Amino acid sequence: MDQKTESLSKIPAGMRYYFGLEARLRRTVEEIGMSIFDGWSYEEITTPTVDYYSLFEHGMGRSEAHRAFRFTDTDGRLLALRPDVTSATARAAATLFAERERPLRLCYAAPVFRQQPQSHAEWRRESTQIGCELIGANTRTADLEVLMIASEFLRRLDLDGDFVITLNDVGIFTGVAESLRLDPTSREQMRQLIDVRNGADLERFLTPYTATGEARAFAQLMQLSGKRENLDLARNVISNEQSHAALDRLESIWSVIESLDLMGCFEIDLGDVARLDYYTGLTFKIYINGAGYRVGSGGRYDDLTASFGKAEPAVGFVLDLDTLSDLVHLHAAVGSSTLPSQAKLPELTTKDHEQEPLGDSRDPSNNRSELFIEALKRRAKGERVSLKLGR
Amino acid sequence: MPDLTIAVAKGRLQDEALALLAAAGAGVSSQDLSSRRLAVEDESGRYRLIFVKPADVPVYVEHGIADCGVVGRDVLLESGTDLLQPLTLEIGRCRIVVAARTGVSLNELGMFRVATKYPCIAAKHFGTRGQPVEIIELSGSVELAPGLGLADCIVDLVESGRTLRENGLKEIEVIDESTGRLVVNRASYQLKAKAIASLIGALKHETD
Repeated sequence: MDQKTESLSKIPAGMRYYFGLEARLRRTVEEIGMSIFDGWSYEEITTPTVDYYSLFEHGMGRSEAHRAFRFTDTDGRLLALRPDVTSATARAAATLFAERERPLRLCYAAPVFRQQPQSHAEWRRESTQIGCELIGANTRTADLEVLMIASEFLRRLDLDGDFVITLNDVGIFTGVAESLRLDPTSREQMRQLIDVRNGADLERFLTPYTATGEARAFAQLMQLSGKRENLDLARNVISNEQSHAALDRLESIWSVIESLDLMGCFEIDLGDVARLDYYTGLTFKIYINGAGYRVGSGGRYDDLTASFGKAEPAVGFVLDLDTLSDLVHLHAAVGSSTLPSQAKLPELTTKDHEQEPLGDSRDPSNNRSELFIEALKRRAKGERVSLKLGR
Repeated sequence: MPDLTIAVAKGRLQDEALALLAAAGAGVSSQDLSSRRLAVEDESGRYRLIFVKPADVPVYVEHGIADCGVVGRDVLLESGTDLLQPLTLEIGRCRIVVAARTGVSLNELGMFRVATKYPCIAAKHFGTRGQPVEIIELSGSVELAPGLGLADCIVDLVESGRTLRENGLKEIEVIDESTGRLVVNRASYQLKAKAIASLIGALKHETD
């Protein structure tokens, strides 16, 4: 092959074609996701593909934003191909939708571009994010709403039993770091040791700060992932107020998960300490059998919209649509010899008539379990629900 | 179908790693060990062991093809992969060092050449102290380079220091210590939590 033909046939690393069955399956998965968002009263938003780089620096933090493809505008300002959708959505909430009634419920499915993948296993430089943001409500009901949407989506894709959503709250780590009076460097060192679950080195790191028994118990705690018992263990090991408030928040979320009988889909993982500078409360990660890396993540980021001039609470998540489609394909193919088609995935239509909003916004913590039992029941019938949320 | 796939680094660590795994209940029959198969099941049937080059252990584990692996810390530092490292194993202890010919003082050179199998570790080490260096990546017999004039010093793994001495080299400084590590894939850690916890528990019991 001469040099000219090679340069014309070659496609850049991390880019690919989709066609045939794979392309149809991706479309189907996207449609199922978007119809579930619609069923929880989320409105679709499309953000610009090209935006100012500074937007993403503020929206994602510098270390994440610098993974973007960058180029300059005619006036010399730095532009980027969007590396995420959340940044522009948060800006829209603070500007375009500033006067709208809260909470704002927004959802999207859009390609994002990143020059360097986070792990060698994620080779794509263009991937499609499907996700939602719930802006203007800082209640556990709001946290639970996005968790229920994520788990409904995965169950609707027939992945029940093959996925787990791990929950944590950044307040637990932050509380411990502050009670130990760690400087930023040691704090980051402790975060990294927890992040790679290096229990022995974490124990050694903590020894100068605390009693030996406590260091060991804390190191063990950070390695465990489990159910409610993890919260009880944590209360015995950790004594500061901030961490306890975070544990209480997690516990009230967990109680609802128990009453909905969804314990099989969720885990409490106190060792999840990724992107602590970004999240402010609940954080969660989504893992699915068959993918060696996490397929989705989300949490509460109450500081984000302040960068755009209007501080308000927000919670949301994204899933990697391409990996999700691969996995739906994989799991369907394992179970039967036929390839999945649209017909194999459950039919889903949202009934068109508007429902009365559910719940009582004056006291949303009251009967949270009943609220979600009713919401899930209506969703199972294909009805659209809209929860009343306090601020 | 085994619960977990474990990638074991061939070479330096292999024998100690297999002995440790056997003590922790993941023993391979002598018949399988003497065969040339690169993937074998342990005697309990719970584990599948695969034997790969050390530098490939993080690759298999990061992609989730192997759920966990046993590999030296030197390989992890060099590869910069995103893996969980729940356990330090007391096997294959060694040091990553800078070594030069006896009598050579690197401080007097404005810039020098470093021969190494560990270009990332070397670049990071000299980069942190603002020392400009040219890194020459070799795949073996690194100790030869200074004597033949290819480099001013080397960054390499040292166990006893004998190879260094016999090639007229002297250890100048220790960059880091290295021992075997158990590494685990992030998704497997959550999705196969019970099996992983039981392996970690058994290995921990053996190393404590």
